[in-house]
Amino acid sequence: MIFEGAAWAIFLLPLASFVVISLFVRPFLNQYEKYSGYLTILAIGAAFVLSIWALGSVLGNEGEIGWEAHSWLAIGNLEISLGILMDPLTAILLIVVTSVSLAVQVYSQGYMRGDPSYSRYFAFMSLFTASMLGLVLARNIVQLYAFWELVGLSSYLLIGFWYNRPAAAAAAKKAFLVTRLGDVGFLLGILYLFFNKEAFLSQGLNPFEIADINLIAHGGEVAGVQIIALGSGVATWVAVGIFAGAVGKSAQFPLHVWLPDAMEGPTPVSALIHAATMVVAGVFLVARFFPLFESSTTAMNIVAVIGGFTAIFAATMGLVMNDIKRVLAYSTVSQLGYMMLALGVGAYEAAIFHLFNHAFFKALLFLGAGSVNHASGTFNMQYMGGLKRYMPRTYVTFLIAAVSISGIFPLAGFWSKDEILVGAWNHGGTIGQLVFWMALVAAFMTAFYIFRALFLTFHGEFRGGVDAENGSQSGGHGVHLAESPWVMVAPMMVLAVPAVVSGFLANPLNTAWGLGIVPTHWFSKLLGNVEFISVHPEPMNLVMAFGSTVVALAGIGLAYLMYYAHKVSPEKVAAAIRPAYNAAFCKYYFDDLYEDWITRRGFYKGVAQSTDWVDRNIIDRIGVGIGFLGRNVGQVIGMLENGQVQAYGAGMSIGILVILVVFSIWN
Amino acid sequence: MNYLLFAPEFTLTAVAFAVLGVDLFLPRDKKGYLPALSVVGLIGVFVLSLRYLWGRDTDLYDGLFLIDNFSLFFKAFFLVLGVMVVLSSVDYVKKHLSRPGEYYGILIFSILAMMLMAASGELLTAYISLELLSFSLYVLVSYGRHGLKPSEAGVKYILLGAFASALLLYGISQVYGMLGTTRFDEIHAALLLEGTPLNPAVLVGLVLIIAGLGFKVAVVPFHMWAPDVYEGAPTPVTAYLAVGSKAAAFALILRLFSQAFMPAFDDWQIILVILAALTMTVGNLVAMAQQNIKRMLAYSSIGQVGYLLMGVAALSPLASNGVILHLVGYGGTNLLAFMCVIVFYNATNKEEIADFAGLADRSPFVAMAMSAALLSLAGLPFFAGFTTKFYLFTAAADGGLLWLVGLAITNSLISLYYYMMVMKQMYMVPADDNTPLNVSMFSCGVLGMLLAGVIIIGVYPGPLVNAIQAATKAILP
Repeated sequence: MIFEGAAWAIFLLPLASFVVISLFVRPFLNQYEKYSGYLTILAIGAAFVLSIWALGSVLGNEGEIGWEAHSWLAIGNLEISLGILMDPLTAILLIVVTSVSLAVQVYSQGYMRGDPSYSRYFAFMSLFTASMLGLVLARNIVQLYAFWELVGLSSYLLIGFWYNRPAAAAAAKKAFLVTRLGDVGFLLGILYLFFNKEAFLSQGLNPFEIADINLIAHGGEVAGVQIIALGSGVATWVAVGIFAGAVGKSAQFPLHVWLPDAMEGPTPVSALIHAATMVVAGVFLVARFFPLFESSTTAMNIVAVIGGFTAIFAATMGLVMNDIKRVLAYSTVSQLGYMMLALGVGAYEAAIFHLFNHAFFKALLFLGAGSVNHASGTFNMQYMGGLKRYMPRTYVTFLIAAVSISGIFPLAGFWSKDEILVGAWNHGGTIGQLVFWMALVAAFMTAFYIFRALFLTFHGEFRGGVDAENGSQSGGHGVHLAESPWVMVAPMMVLAVPAVVSGFLANPLNTAWGLGIVPTHWFSKLLGNVEFISVHPEPMNLVMAFGSTVVALAGIGLAYLMYYAHKVSPEKVAAAIRPAYNAAFCKYYFDDLYEDWITRRGFYKGVAQSTDWVDRNIIDRIGVGIGFLGRNVGQVIGMLENGQVQAYGAGMSIGILVILVVFSIWN
Repeated sequence: MNYLLFAPEFTLTAVAFAVLGVDLFLPRDKKGYLPALSVVGLIGVFVLSLRYLWGRDTDLYDGLFLIDNFSLFFKAFFLVLGVMVVLSSVDYVKKHLSRPGEYYGILIFSILAMMLMAASGELLTAYISLELLSFSLYVLVSYGRHGLKPSEAGVKYILLGAFASALLLYGISQVYGMLGTTRFDEIHAALLLEGTPLNPAVLVGLVLIIAGLGFKVAVVPFHMWAPDVYEGAPTPVTAYLAVGSKAAAFALILRLFSQAFMPAFDDWQIILVILAALTMTVGNLVAMAQQNIKRMLAYSSIGQVGYLLMGVAALSPLASNGVILHLVGYGGTNLLAFMCVIVFYNATNKEEIADFAGLADRSPFVAMAMSAALLSLAGLPFFAGFTTKFYLFTAAADGGLLWLVGLAITNSLISLYYYMMVMKQMYMVPADDNTPLNVSMFSCGVLGMLLAGVIIIGVYPGPLVNAIQAATKAILP
């Protein structure tokens, strides 16, 4: 069984790699910068091995491994502790984060070769991996929040990695600010817990300990002690606050706008952070506090509807994008919506299972996009085409991931998508029905857009790559039609394996025709060991499986007709639904609304500048008008050429008068 | 009476006179010994205070000065602060100011004044200490020798400061007139005796005292001097104003409200709540519109004052801890930010936000330190700003001011926006002139020390919080 020091090492190893690279390799040994990459791989590889050990221990222990908390800060009579919460959910996330991160770091050796800031890249990647692991391991909500912010910060650093490109720097800032908007809710939720601390303290619990929050949300008799549950109002508000943080991080509607822009970062970064790990932190967060959410129907319904709407809403934008990474970005948003809706309908194990599967095939898709970019120099699919001939290995792995995400039997995506659909259907009621149909439509769109991307990229004739895109002024990168080096292809091949088989871990088949090595409902039973979580493993629903496969095949078929066989002209389809097409293509104008109208005009020009103006002018005028301080002082400061001093003095006096007046009315 | 308890103050006065005296005999090229002498003196007094005053709880001059853990904590804090300000002044003074002797001498006098403020147990003593601080600052603010800006800033500060002092004095006279005492503990007793509702004349006095002290810490609407003065003053003095004089005034406010005015808590809480809400919102909104880095930091520190005032409005042992902790954390962070501005100004003679363009290429270390300072000011974890703000906000929420905490968190988000505008300049916008910034090893060392401090407070606040709890216990048992 794993001991506590080894569990800490999972987080500390990548952190050490960050410290060593940024304090020693970069300033003093920059000529040996290739060792930054090796060091990162070594640290994350070791963390991966330890994570497997952790999973094995959790399996053996059949549930949480209890370790002591370490005190960090006392606020009054309340300890904020640091420590590790090692349960099956943590262990699964550890495996996802370390394995994808390891594959991505190996791939980056090739992708980032020759970049002038090679060491900085690996330093930030190490920092990100460490903070993500810290987030997953946290046992205390304040600890979790701290790593939550650190993850956001390292994502900011990596999106803006090429900070000399204005688009990258702007995207980094946008991502940071938009996710922080959600974090306001998260932090308020935490403080609201503290505000209600008596409910915890009176029962010997701590309002910051995750286990205690879930315990009190669960209520009832636990281990022979009767626990008085939180009031449903309190639970709802705390859950909604936490969910606001999750909406920001997981790019759910209406805070989805940052993720597509985040594609300005290096592609391996997109694969790791904006597909497999950081963006699922929101899903993880809701799952982490699942008993709390379950105790409030309102909160659950909000999660389900936001998730369902995001799934379908983001998919529509994925249909029309020309940039392959943006298609994948909207696909990620949509798939995250899938996970959220699964949580919202109570299908806990389906959500985590989809998170697990999605991490591998989506990371693979992104690495494929990076590989394609390596050859063509562009991300615009209108200038690709025919790449199958030049890069067969990239093509095959991309195809596997595409089939998987479309949900075709027997690949990974099929199993988890099916579980989510069954979960929504069984949930029933208006909400269940609503999100079920949303999910089904989104499934159709997913299959369509991913095969549209596949056909545009790999089939047909090559359309010139970056040279054609930039005309004559193409510089630097250039077109180089060949398969990417092995250091990039090998990680893709490795990721292709789970993209095919990871679905079998759920194994919803009957024992009679089981798959042999994996016990029936293995994944669900593993998650069933999480404290206060009850799972309801469903046997495979053949009607549902058949129906969803037909829907996916229909999507693929339509993409085939339009972009491979050219039987249906995409232009004509676009023309037929012009307004809808334009709206989707312009991302439903959300960027304009947020950036131009709300931020720039409304907030900056409207509120901030007018406050500044009032601050400088109105009080000034009043001051001059009253001539409050009298002529003598005015003459003394005549050399200052303005009346600011009188004005400021008048402002102070008026302030005092207002306070006194308000106060006497108040009493 | 044991005059030895006053040894730190006497010694510090001697250090100040020593600096002034030695200056007379030093040739022009040897003036570098002055800051060294100041630092040695300050550290000496620091050690002396800690060794001699630790754990004492007594008073001097029949309660005019209080020797307790609260005043000891602030003494230590001000002395450390003084060392950091002297260190960050060294290059600046050498380059931009004449007469270093008076500069360092007066700086030490002002530290003496702050120590007296935190220790005073009576209104007039507090007033006189405050005036000593103010007069030192008036001189320091107008110390710059180039152009009209420093003199304009100085004259504005003197005139408005005199006005604020008059308000404060009038407030004190009202309180004395009605309650017949100026000693904090006696005011406390008299208020208890009087009961509610508060006598209107005492109330007027209280409001005037709030206004007078509010001026010193730049509470809206008594804040208008701050951006002008911050902009015009020499940058190390600006940093000192933003951190030191604010901390001293808050030390006085904490002691005054907890030891003297606590019985009238229900009466003054609402005033402070409204002022806090106004201060944090106006400060952060107006900061967004600034072009000059010192003005922006001025408004941003007005925003921080709003958070601190919120803590005072929720006054309890927990809130007092939060206020002191945030004073220390925010103070260190602000010093770091101003040190970056000083370093930048020393090398370029510029201080507009737009001038910071391309700093990441010109001096990666300074850009990194500045980013760390800004992120800490915005309250990102692993920097001091998060830990101290979190403590302060939970304490305020605990005191029932949940809506105000919500406003404060929203304001933190707004502040992140304008801090990132600076980071955008440093990292994204290319510089006109791409020569590497000329930063001395000494300045880098000071930056490194401040940066380490900001991270240590953020990651391992335990010992500091323990010390602060001991300090709070002295005023709010």
